[in-house]
Amino acid sequence: MTDAGHVAAQLEAWLDGELDAAEAAAVEAHLKDCGTCAAAAGRYRALRAAIRVELPALTAPDVLRARVRDAVREAAPRAGPIRLVPWRAIGAVAAMVVAIAGAWKVGVWQAGADRLTDDLLAAHVRSLMPGHLTDVTSTDQHTVKPWFDGRLDYSPPVADETTRGFPLLGGRLDYVGGRPVAALVYGRRLHRINVFVWPERYGSRGPARADRDGYHLEHWTRGDMTFWTVSDLNAEELNTFVRLLQQPDSTGSAP
Amino acid sequence: MGPTELARFEEIVLPHLDDAFTLARYLVRDEHDAQDVVQDAYLRALRHFDTLRGGDGRVWLLAIVRNCARTWYRGRRAESLATPFDEERHSGESAGEETEERLRRGEARETLRKALERLAPEFREVIVLRELSGLSYREIAEATRSPIGTVMSRLARARAKLLEALGPEVEEAG
Repeated sequence: MTDAGHVAAQLEAWLDGELDAAEAAAVEAHLKDCGTCAAAAGRYRALRAAIRVELPALTAPDVLRARVRDAVREAAPRAGPIRLVPWRAIGAVAAMVVAIAGAWKVGVWQAGADRLTDDLLAAHVRSLMPGHLTDVTSTDQHTVKPWFDGRLDYSPPVADETTRGFPLLGGRLDYVGGRPVAALVYGRRLHRINVFVWPERYGSRGPARADRDGYHLEHWTRGDMTFWTVSDLNAEELNTFVRLLQQPDSTGSAP
Repeated sequence: MGPTELARFEEIVLPHLDDAFTLARYLVRDEHDAQDVVQDAYLRALRHFDTLRGGDGRVWLLAIVRNCARTWYRGRRAESLATPFDEERHSGESAGEETEERLRRGEARETLRKALERLAPEFREVIVLRELSGLSYREIAEATRSPIGTVMSRLARARAKLLEALGPEVEEAG
């Protein structure tokens, strides 16, 4: 090897033991012939020697050793992938929640209802995006209803209103008010109607009717189930649909 | 974390306390702050022990120490970093004819220590990891989350600065 520049570039890697045997042999051969590179190598060796003598690796003080060991043992029972949040932070958050809750309590019912209609509207709009409308696509209520078995801990009543102009299109799992719920999808011309169904024990706050951003929402309970329907269909036709669903013989809730 | 996991942690991570302290001490420079950084790093390591997954406990821990030190000096940047790390202002101040004499008088430590302190943290850490802890380029790359090429160029630059500070006589000293 005669290219001094090349060897200079490899000198440090050679001294650090990062070259393979062949590369190292080439560098060593070159160093025998090249005074410039040999001097450079000498300087690096000297620097390393100086660092190791003058700036030695340190030994942790005993007090630190004890401190770390104690801290680790104290923290170990609550450490791990499941509980990453420090307890002190949880305490602080809990205290804050208690403090705020008092002031907030007055508005919480109204806010809860608003959040629910927000959730429902968002779920409806999301369902209209391509590929989101149904998880189970069927006009047969006896296909849609069993599909929810094992996916929810309740069985939503599923009615087919095809003969009355509101064909069942299918069903899907959705997420409303912090829970997975059943969503049934019906059609009316090009309009889509979502009917969200969950047990009344989940809670059901909100007005019987609401209009938001051009969408209509209706809300009722029947038996132990709560129903919310959302659509851009005009309010009259949507109300017709709701009254159909409210008829005792149309819900398909009987097995 | 159960007793078995704690025992594993104590076996795999605790033995590297000296390396952890060395890196922290050279990075944050203050003895007490270095101890705090090490303790913080160990607690962080404990919380994320599941991310080690059979790798090298030492390199893994040193990466965490480094991050804790960085967090620490982000908080101290204004008061502690600005002046001491002004490389240009200080470089070469100890070079020259006096160096050999100083080496003989045992002042090389002071010269070298100051030169190391003047290096920016990313250059200082590669020197500490390579020369004091003996990590390979690949391990340094892992601990500093940098490409190997970056590790090599930082090492080269750091060594050039240290050699410059020690002066031309250093080759005879070796």
